[in-house]
Amino acid sequence: MSEITELLSVSRDPAWAPWAVQYFFLIGLSYGSFVLSLPGIAFGVERWRGFGRAALIGALVCGIVAPVALLSDLHQPGRFAEFYVRPAPSSWMAWGAFFIPAYVGALILYGLAALAPDFAAAATSGGPLAPLRRLIGGPARPGLVRALGLVTLAAAFTVALYTGVEVMVVRARPLWNTALLPWQFAATALAGSIGLTLILARTVFDAGSGEDRLGNRLLLVALALVAALGAAWFALATLSPNGAEGRAFAQVAGSPVWRVSAMWLAAAVAVPTAIALVKPVGSGWATGLLALNAAWMFRWTIFVGGQELPKTGAGLYRHPLALGPDGLLGIVGTAGLWLAVLIALATLLNRSGAVEGRRSSTVVEGA
Amino acid sequence: MSASRRDFLRGLGRVSAGAPVALAAGVGSALAEAPPVHRWAMVVDVAKCIGCQACTVACIHENRVPDNAFRTFVTTWEVAEGERVSTVMLPRLCNHCETPPCVPVCPVGATFKAADGEVLVDGDACVGCGYCVQACPYDARFIDAETRTADKCTFCTHRLAAGLLPACVETCVGGARIFGDLADPKSTVSRLLKERADDVRVLKPEEKTNPNVFYLGLDPRFAGRVEAVPTLWQPSEPRAGGASHV
Repeated sequence: MSEITELLSVSRDPAWAPWAVQYFFLIGLSYGSFVLSLPGIAFGVERWRGFGRAALIGALVCGIVAPVALLSDLHQPGRFAEFYVRPAPSSWMAWGAFFIPAYVGALILYGLAALAPDFAAAATSGGPLAPLRRLIGGPARPGLVRALGLVTLAAAFTVALYTGVEVMVVRARPLWNTALLPWQFAATALAGSIGLTLILARTVFDAGSGEDRLGNRLLLVALALVAALGAAWFALATLSPNGAEGRAFAQVAGSPVWRVSAMWLAAAVAVPTAIALVKPVGSGWATGLLALNAAWMFRWTIFVGGQELPKTGAGLYRHPLALGPDGLLGIVGTAGLWLAVLIALATLLNRSGAVEGRRSSTVVEGA
Repeated sequence: MSASRRDFLRGLGRVSAGAPVALAAGVGSALAEAPPVHRWAMVVDVAKCIGCQACTVACIHENRVPDNAFRTFVTTWEVAEGERVSTVMLPRLCNHCETPPCVPVCPVGATFKAADGEVLVDGDACVGCGYCVQACPYDARFIDAETRTADKCTFCTHRLAAGLLPACVETCVGGARIFGDLADPKSTVSRLLKERADDVRVLKPEEKTNPNVFYLGLDPRFAGRVEAVPTLWQPSEPRAGGASHV
């Protein structure tokens, strides 16, 4: 029996700073929220009307802010041009450089088409923003909204695909290198999107019990999916120690830090599930915030926690959260930008929690 | 003059004349497309390493490696087996893999495999996305905190072009690092790998990266992620930037 003690080694800082967490969080919320908007906005399902409107706002705000976080992670934003000057098709990240603008561009067109009647209606109230509202406002065009919705759906799929696979293919990090990871990203993104929509429905559109009930039902399904994927991961890890999940589990099993992370993840799924079951109406704030926590926490654990696992050394790299742009300031800054875009959009829509939001013309009548 | 240096110098006549010019101009693709002349490799005789870190320091000076970052390093362990306590040293660097996982993930093709086998980074093209850092199974890459681009060992390709050995090889006190050309069957590295074939290991062979850094006499327990008690090192102070702590 021998005991090995590491005397000298090197600790590597994470190459993907919290900016990356913010990007994956926001883009996940965006494509998830966009999907949630489709039934009510593009296909005119009455019951999804108010929920769809809030989801669309969430998709737009997150979709606009997410690429900013991504550019910030390059530290010299002008470098993004290299992605188009010399793309390397062997890299999923290179494909992402094309998928992101395609998705965000289609999403903005879809949002503008869907919200055009709202902008036009808001323009009638006058004020300094009236010219801008008139410019982007217009009549309801159900066919156009539906067509743009389908185009955006295809683009959203490419974003969901690349963000998952880009991380999954990194064989050097066993925690990332599992086939379940893209599905886990998508499921947690959906849960977070439902949470975001629940909150926006209350804050921007002053939604009622209908949105709460629908949102909490959807959240139960999404959280069940997250739990099922987590259970499948654990089952594969224990049944097949030499498989991808087994390799990943071996890296974190026995670590007190990771035990806490696992318990936090389990609680992030279990608590909102319990609340949504016990109180499906009137709990949107709580379940919404908890669902957002689940989505963010999953990404934080995967990215930051994953980079704390040395590839050759013993123990864990310790990365205290920096307070500057590469850490807390980056996170707060992204949140601030997100809030600013939300306020700008809500102002253009002349929304400040008005009750009449639920009677807006955004939904394509008869679509 | 060591055998390694002698046969290295003998083979220099075959260096492509265009390579230094291309490198100086930062034109990585010219190197990648040049006809293969050498297949540079390093053999590390673990038994000869005394853990002095002279190679680490030489590399830092030669390549102006930024503060708190390393292109090469000698990891050191204490191994206690009953009454017997020994020290194990393992010089680490980029393995200049034949199938480098860092290359296909680079979204702009800034990381490439040169014709002579070195895995290099075109600093002008690198966007600092860090994807290659994630993909490297050996933790051999890092993001330079000043330039915000990927950085790593180059086998001192600028020195090779000038007919010199890599700085870490030049300075190795015990002669543990042996550098040469695997394309030359008479080179010391070729001969060592042939003569001591049973004693040759690479790091993380399960990754199937086919490294061009080979180890003689390496205990297999140290070829991958080492199960050990982490002790002496911890990040000492929070820093702005993205380089490493010891």
